[in-house]
Amino acid sequence: MTAILQNFMQGSVQKFLRESLPILAMIGYAALNTFFVILISPFFMGVIKKAKALCQRRKGQPVLQQYYNLLKLFKKETVVSHNSSWIMLKAPYINIAVIIVASLFVPVLFSYNNTFSFYADHTTDNNTSNYTNPNNASNSPIFGNILLFLYLLALGKFFMALSGLDAGSAFGGMGSSREMSLSAILEPITFLILLAFAFVFKTTNFFEIFTLTSTTGIVLANPALILLAASLFVVLIAETARVPVDNPETHLELTMIHEAMILEQSGKNLALMEASHAIKQTLFMAVFINIFVPFGYIGNTGNIGNSAAITFVSIMIAMLWFSLKGTILAVAIALFESSTAKLRLFKVPELFMISFFLAFLTIIIEVFR
Amino acid sequence: MNAFTHKLEEIFGNKVTVLEMSGGCNNEVFIRVKEDDVEKAASMLSKADFVLIAMFCEEGFQNKGKFSIFYVFEKKSYNKILVLVRDISSNNISSVTGIFPAAFWYEREIMDGFGINFNGNPDKRRLFLHEWYQNEFHPLLKSFKNRKIENIGPRKIEFKKEMEENTGNDYEFKEMKGDGVYQIPVGPIHAGIIEPGHFRFSVIGEVIYNLEIRMFYKHRGIEKFAEEKKAEDAIAIAESISGDESVANSTAFCTAVEKIYMADVPKRALHLRTILLELERIYSHLGDLAGMIIDVGFPAGASQFFILREEILRMNNKLTGSRFMKNILTIGGLKKEVKNDALIRANHYFNKFLGEFHKAVKVVHTTASVIDRLETTGIIRKDLIKCLNITGPAARGSGAAIDTRIDHPYGIYGKIMQAPKIRYAGDVLSRFEVKTEETIESVKMIQNLINTVPEGNVNAEYTPKDGFGLCILEAPRGQSIHWVDIKDGKIYRYKIRTASFCNWQAIEHAVLGNIVPDFPLINKSLNLSYAGTDL
Repeated sequence: MTAILQNFMQGSVQKFLRESLPILAMIGYAALNTFFVILISPFFMGVIKKAKALCQRRKGQPVLQQYYNLLKLFKKETVVSHNSSWIMLKAPYINIAVIIVASLFVPVLFSYNNTFSFYADHTTDNNTSNYTNPNNASNSPIFGNILLFLYLLALGKFFMALSGLDAGSAFGGMGSSREMSLSAILEPITFLILLAFAFVFKTTNFFEIFTLTSTTGIVLANPALILLAASLFVVLIAETARVPVDNPETHLELTMIHEAMILEQSGKNLALMEASHAIKQTLFMAVFINIFVPFGYIGNTGNIGNSAAITFVSIMIAMLWFSLKGTILAVAIALFESSTAKLRLFKVPELFMISFFLAFLTIIIEVFR
Repeated sequence: MNAFTHKLEEIFGNKVTVLEMSGGCNNEVFIRVKEDDVEKAASMLSKADFVLIAMFCEEGFQNKGKFSIFYVFEKKSYNKILVLVRDISSNNISSVTGIFPAAFWYEREIMDGFGINFNGNPDKRRLFLHEWYQNEFHPLLKSFKNRKIENIGPRKIEFKKEMEENTGNDYEFKEMKGDGVYQIPVGPIHAGIIEPGHFRFSVIGEVIYNLEIRMFYKHRGIEKFAEEKKAEDAIAIAESISGDESVANSTAFCTAVEKIYMADVPKRALHLRTILLELERIYSHLGDLAGMIIDVGFPAGASQFFILREEILRMNNKLTGSRFMKNILTIGGLKKEVKNDALIRANHYFNKFLGEFHKAVKVVHTTASVIDRLETTGIIRKDLIKCLNITGPAARGSGAAIDTRIDHPYGIYGKIMQAPKIRYAGDVLSRFEVKTEETIESVKMIQNLINTVPEGNVNAEYTPKDGFGLCILEAPRGQSIHWVDIKDGKIYRYKIRTASFCNWQAIEHAVLGNIVPDFPLINKSLNLSYAGTDL
């Protein structure tokens, strides 16, 4: 920034524009990506609920009901237990903030040229893409980094678990302890899946992965990815607290995991918790969609200076594609949920093991290919 | 009667002297023994495989003592019900909990209601009277007039504290202690819209090591409320004992009164009553089946049961004018006629019903994840059945061939019931299977009954009389016992013991060794009624 300002002071307007474009692009990307993710998330929740209701031969609530619920909750006052501390009150804000930051890591619609990064050491003339040399790890930007993405989610989960414990009710603590135990098993598996991605795509950056998948036929060329799709689906189910890991619709407090942690939340704070849960689900869905069915995603943005690919129309089309694919995935999740009962709590790790096995197999295939 | 006299002589030998023995109006045999011999008699009955199925107290029964305690016994393969009457004049008597563990709750119930102290019962905590009742408050005593009680209820926290100081009755749960053991208090207010009950789990991790339940948060004083009322007026009370057992409870009450009145209920009324009783069993079981599947997180499989249940409820409405078949029974028969064409339509519907039901069951049977959850969960050991008097589908799922419809036939069941449906594993799956088969059996029974229902009156004339009688019948949840004593044309004592009262105690044993998240499923598989317990 100081360099830019110095340049500006020197009066080199043209140079400034060229250099500040990445920042503008980043702001544009951030605004568009974040708003789109926030706005579409309740829709996917609604689709899943509707599809599940139809499976049960019920009419079900309107698809947009989740929006109404959130609006209603935002209008309500927050009631907290006398025994709770600041954690209870702040956790929803921390949670939503963390999730929104994490959402910046997952480009839903388009990859902008990710040269602006904390680590990148570019000269002003460097307009070439990083993707030309993805093996150069030191060049890989922290922005979009998968590991950081996961740890951001873990931070949110940590505060959610704390808030579950904070109110001192029996169920919150129970939910927190279950969530943490399952996370301890799930987390290494998630990392293994990412490791498998790194083996296949030679990068740990979402921007680069999505660009690769959308601009090259790597998914079709690499059947091992189908195995990864299955393991990622399990992670998607587990992270979004769905059957067979958790039951989002239950009223039985003793069986809850995720719901138990937010049982004591109310009003605005509950709305924030639910919104962040919905966004988290959309993010995992986006990872799934943009890797395995990337068509419609604008990966080929070219250089940022003349990003002909990113126009109003193309973004609109990308949005439509993503919504459509997301809806289909949401229906698939609903069908999967409807076809099976919730697992016994102690059998959930067995499901994770399937995911572990498939990811491990992918790595072996990649290594010996 | 003679055969029974011989049998008793065989059991008691010369150690217990039977002072008096008389037959009741509804297959009961009342015996009195010397006060010193009561415990001896109880232990001999226990050795002879008699099961304590109910125990209650009445003040001034036949004017033989201040109180009379009734011990009701049943024995497999005996049609007769044995009632041991114990007339007592003091408030301090010996307990039989050492011989019949089922007596725990009964003795505590009598202690609350009548202020009788049972020496030897290790559990002196109050049962249905919670903390905010005064110590000397015993509502079932005749000296306590039936009126609205002032200043009862946890209106303010200060008020409750004050009451606790007054009564010194802080309810202590039996908590397990040790490294890593912690308590999970659940209820009485739950996340779902269900009735109130408190569950105190002692767990290590997720595994349950002890569960203690506490009920009676909505105790309504039904027994006291029925006193001083005419029998006709108490039918509505019997119907409201438990919302989904209205036919069973009102039939039991009406039958007891009819036996006292010696009313001859017309054949058609008996037929129709049986149809209604079985309809109630069907919708109750359908609700359970759906609930079990919902609780394992498989709503797509449960919805079919829910749909069928709703269709049955609508049919109930067409047959009787009430979805839960209220306001149809009366003493001497039925209040109104059930039309034949409605019955024929019901018969047609049931053909379709069976097909749909089989399909729904098949979905469950072919979904491995569901079976995996149901199997080996919440096992009730068979040896508990007798000592806790576990009853109904819960007992039949554990291999006990007990069904009041067969053991002590009432109405027309003697002619139409053959064998109880039994499973042996005692887990949730067994109870699921028992309820599935009973539903099918009930449907077939109803179809046969509709085809053979006789024409005629549905209501008999009767002349009110004084007397006492016991009626036991098989409600959907299990055996229900109603004791009615009528004096001067009014109800003097009405005691109800529903199946839930017994089976609530079974759940404390069924959950041991299971994990906390499986508790709701076990609870649902037993389908316990809070209202039926919180009289």
